[in-house]
Amino acid sequence: MSIINYASKEIQFKIVYYGPALCGKTTNLAYIHSRINPDNRGDLVSLATAADRTLFFDFLPLNAVVIKGFKTKFQLYTVPGQVIYNATRQLVLRSVDGIVFVGDSQWEKMEENIDSFKNLEENLAKQNVTLDDMPYVLQYNKRDLPNIAPVNYLEFLLNNRKKRVQSFEVVSSTGQNVFAALNAVSQLLLHKFSRDSDPARPATAPVALPRRR
Amino acid sequence: MDSIPALTIEDVANIDGVLQDYLQKSESDLAVIIDKGGNVISQYGDLEVMDVTIIAALAAGSFAATKELARRIGEVEFNALYHQGNGSHIFMNSVDDDTIMITVFGGQTTVGLVRFYSTSAASGLANVLRGLREKTSPGFQFSPSDIRDAHLFEN
Repeated sequence: MSIINYASKEIQFKIVYYGPALCGKTTNLAYIHSRINPDNRGDLVSLATAADRTLFFDFLPLNAVVIKGFKTKFQLYTVPGQVIYNATRQLVLRSVDGIVFVGDSQWEKMEENIDSFKNLEENLAKQNVTLDDMPYVLQYNKRDLPNIAPVNYLEFLLNNRKKRVQSFEVVSSTGQNVFAALNAVSQLLLHKFSRDSDPARPATAPVALPRRR
Repeated sequence: MDSIPALTIEDVANIDGVLQDYLQKSESDLAVIIDKGGNVISQYGDLEVMDVTIIAALAAGSFAATKELARRIGEVEFNALYHQGNGSHIFMNSVDDDTIMITVFGGQTTVGLVRFYSTSAASGLANVLRGLREKTSPGFQFSPSDIRDAHLFEN
């Protein structure tokens, strides 16, 4: 968590996009970067390999006036999804304020989704944080592909903790619901720090709620 | 309910005092204090030079990335890092367990001078930050009605 500076009237929050390799975390940031007014954002910084795989992290700073009288900076990070880079994921998660978990909707990626979600819980535990205390939302990405699992199944796999969270059907390459997920996690983390600590008031309607039978 | 640790205007003035003195003596351009998560705590100097937020994120990453290298030679982590350019250089040193000071400087000074004065600046800053952590102030909180509703970021 950041420190607020009363002299500059600035607050910073760190949001991390987490998920398995090639699930679309960097594509999320690239889309946000391409759509936000350049006055309200910094450069998108990518530390990637020659083959465009994230090596360390991607980073995108966003500015907004969301709390009365204060400039609020949201720092968006991605982690490298490849299994071997776990030490890097732990570094990027340091003092995180909110998380967007990006799941890959393709059937063959289900095991990787679960492994990555477990890995997130383990890495947070190393910082003495649990997902119960962490504002987070789920993205089910690549909904435009033909070989995808139904949302109900993804909910069963990834959204079956005691506290259900908002989830979104996303196509990060076209931007479908990318901003909905970002706005949702931003609202969750802002309300976490607000005086009443109103628990998880949904800011935007969840898009991918499971059908109840 | 969580609150955000707060630097008052007086705290910032104390930190700025240390940084101003340090920049003058070391003849550097810019000093930025960050936590190891990459958040900017305070900054002083020629702020037009670059996007400080990005420098902070990358510097925190750079510091963290060398930790494993340090461990291989029996250290916990490196206390200082130096990146040498052709005209501009970056020197980073630990202030305390959670805090790093980044110094940007050019050809008007030398890394030796920067390194020399950075030690006393870091210890001055560590004292100020320790004082802050020992304070029992409630931190910064805001009311839910202060939050702009719903769509913070427009597509």
